[in-house]
Amino acid sequence: MGSYDAVQALHKTLPAFSPYIPANFLPYLAFILLTVTFILTFYFSTLPKDTLPLREMAVASTASILAGFGVVSLFCSVGVYV
Amino acid sequence: MAVRWPLISFLFTSWAVLCHAKAYGSFENTAVVRTVELGGSLVHVKTTYAVKAVEDQSSVYTVAFGQEDHSKTSFLEARISGKQTPLKIEQSFGSGSNGDPYLYSVELPKPLSKDETTKLEVEIVQTHATYPWPAEVGQEDEQALKYETDLFVLSPYKTLEQRTKIRSPSPGILSYTTPEDVQDFTFEAPVTKSGATLTYGPFKNFPSSDSQHFVEKRQQRVTVHYKYDDPVMEVTELHRSAEISHWGANLNIQDEISLTNAGPKLKGQFSRLKHQQQTFYQKPSAHIIRGIVMHLPPGIRDTYFYDLIGNVSTSRLRTAPSIPKGSLARQQSVLELRPRYPLMGGWNYSFTLGWDAPLRDSASWDSKAGRYIVAVPIMTVLPGTVVDEATVKVILPEGAIDVEVFPPFPPKSMTRSTHTTYLDTTGRPAVTFEYSQLTDRHGGVIYLSYKVPFLAHLRKPFAVATAFFALFTVALAARRVDARIHKK
Repeated sequence: MGSYDAVQALHKTLPAFSPYIPANFLPYLAFILLTVTFILTFYFSTLPKDTLPLREMAVASTASILAGFGVVSLFCSVGVYV
Repeated sequence: MAVRWPLISFLFTSWAVLCHAKAYGSFENTAVVRTVELGGSLVHVKTTYAVKAVEDQSSVYTVAFGQEDHSKTSFLEARISGKQTPLKIEQSFGSGSNGDPYLYSVELPKPLSKDETTKLEVEIVQTHATYPWPAEVGQEDEQALKYETDLFVLSPYKTLEQRTKIRSPSPGILSYTTPEDVQDFTFEAPVTKSGATLTYGPFKNFPSSDSQHFVEKRQQRVTVHYKYDDPVMEVTELHRSAEISHWGANLNIQDEISLTNAGPKLKGQFSRLKHQQQTFYQKPSAHIIRGIVMHLPPGIRDTYFYDLIGNVSTSRLRTAPSIPKGSLARQQSVLELRPRYPLMGGWNYSFTLGWDAPLRDSASWDSKAGRYIVAVPIMTVLPGTVVDEATVKVILPEGAIDVEVFPPFPPKSMTRSTHTTYLDTTGRPAVTFEYSQLTDRHGGVIYLSYKVPFLAHLRKPFAVATAFFALFTVALAARRVDARIHKK
């Protein structure tokens, strides 16, 4: 049980947890990312229908990645801390 | 090194048998004073042993508890009088069987030489040691409880003098047992009452009393019947879940509490009119629970309090500012809760209470080992209240590996499970600790240490991105399908 005291002392001296993206920045990040996603989705809908949909895939992938981060930031900024 | 006594004492060590044999006959109690602080569902008992060593190098002292008193004990701690650090205490192997008293070995910080003295303090907290008497009272009547205990403090060593002081929180002691047949130990009155304190003793020249033979022949039970002016609160079930979020840098703690008024049951009907009149005109009845005050951690936000019907708005919260992790909170957030209805004797109320707190107040990052350490309190301590069953479920972030747990005292059981919530793919690892008979001395903190690889942090955004990409692929295919009915 001496390890309990050891981990307690260690916890006290270590630096506090800090997220990769500061929490108060998340609402703005959510807004920016989701707006860009919306714009890209609109652009996706105007693209020509080629047989090899390279351009559509490229736009779809960027929009998806941005949407992914945007939705996670959105959840955190409304209080559902995922 | 300090160890707290485990809740369910399944600690049998074989070396204790050897020390046990050595400890016998090596001490003598010059004076033993047991002070019992009467309460509602919890009773605090502090026994001070003034000990003199009879042999050289005596280092292990044995304390004894009777069967009945031991069965109600939930917290046990021994320390040298005046010092703060608890001493190592373990149950002696095989004690307590066949009606023998339970024996615990206390390791003294340094061995005593012959004729050296020291003062040992053993503190125990008993749960469900009192019962309401009369068992049913009307809405406006007073509440009285009865407490039973053993008359004599048992000890394997000879005791020159011992006494028991029973202190009631209010001066209303209604009746108490006068022990008979104690002429061997005292010539004066065996019990004296002064104000709110009853003193049994002093009993002189007590022999070694840790055998069942002594218990059967000389031990007596004493009962104290006293007025109690506070509600007897009991939490029958407490389910705490602590969810850690790295993306939101947040620790959410949610308590599901089932509260019972363990005082005398209500006789007759509940009259709302009489209850309102009492509240405004006369002194309100002491045994009715109208509201509870909880001291929550500082720096919390977004508290919610709801029950089966819905949100309960009769609450008031005063938050205290956030403090850095690991430091002692000088000021705590105060939450005054008022249930939907006043709890009369025997009534129950279940509710859910939760809050969010910044994760930096509870978690730390060890960059050398690549581990996070988080501190989760076991419960919000309600003074004088016993918690019958408690579970603490700590939900770690998705992808947490190498989890190590450090509970302050061993739980009844520890299980690992997977908890799935919003935006989860594989689910989050969760550790559940089960405890029983927690008292107001069990407000400890569980430490958990875990690793989260960087890619595991990105699992959630990628899961959402995959869902969006699937939608885009469906849109891509849908654009190329001609769903017109008439070709133009």
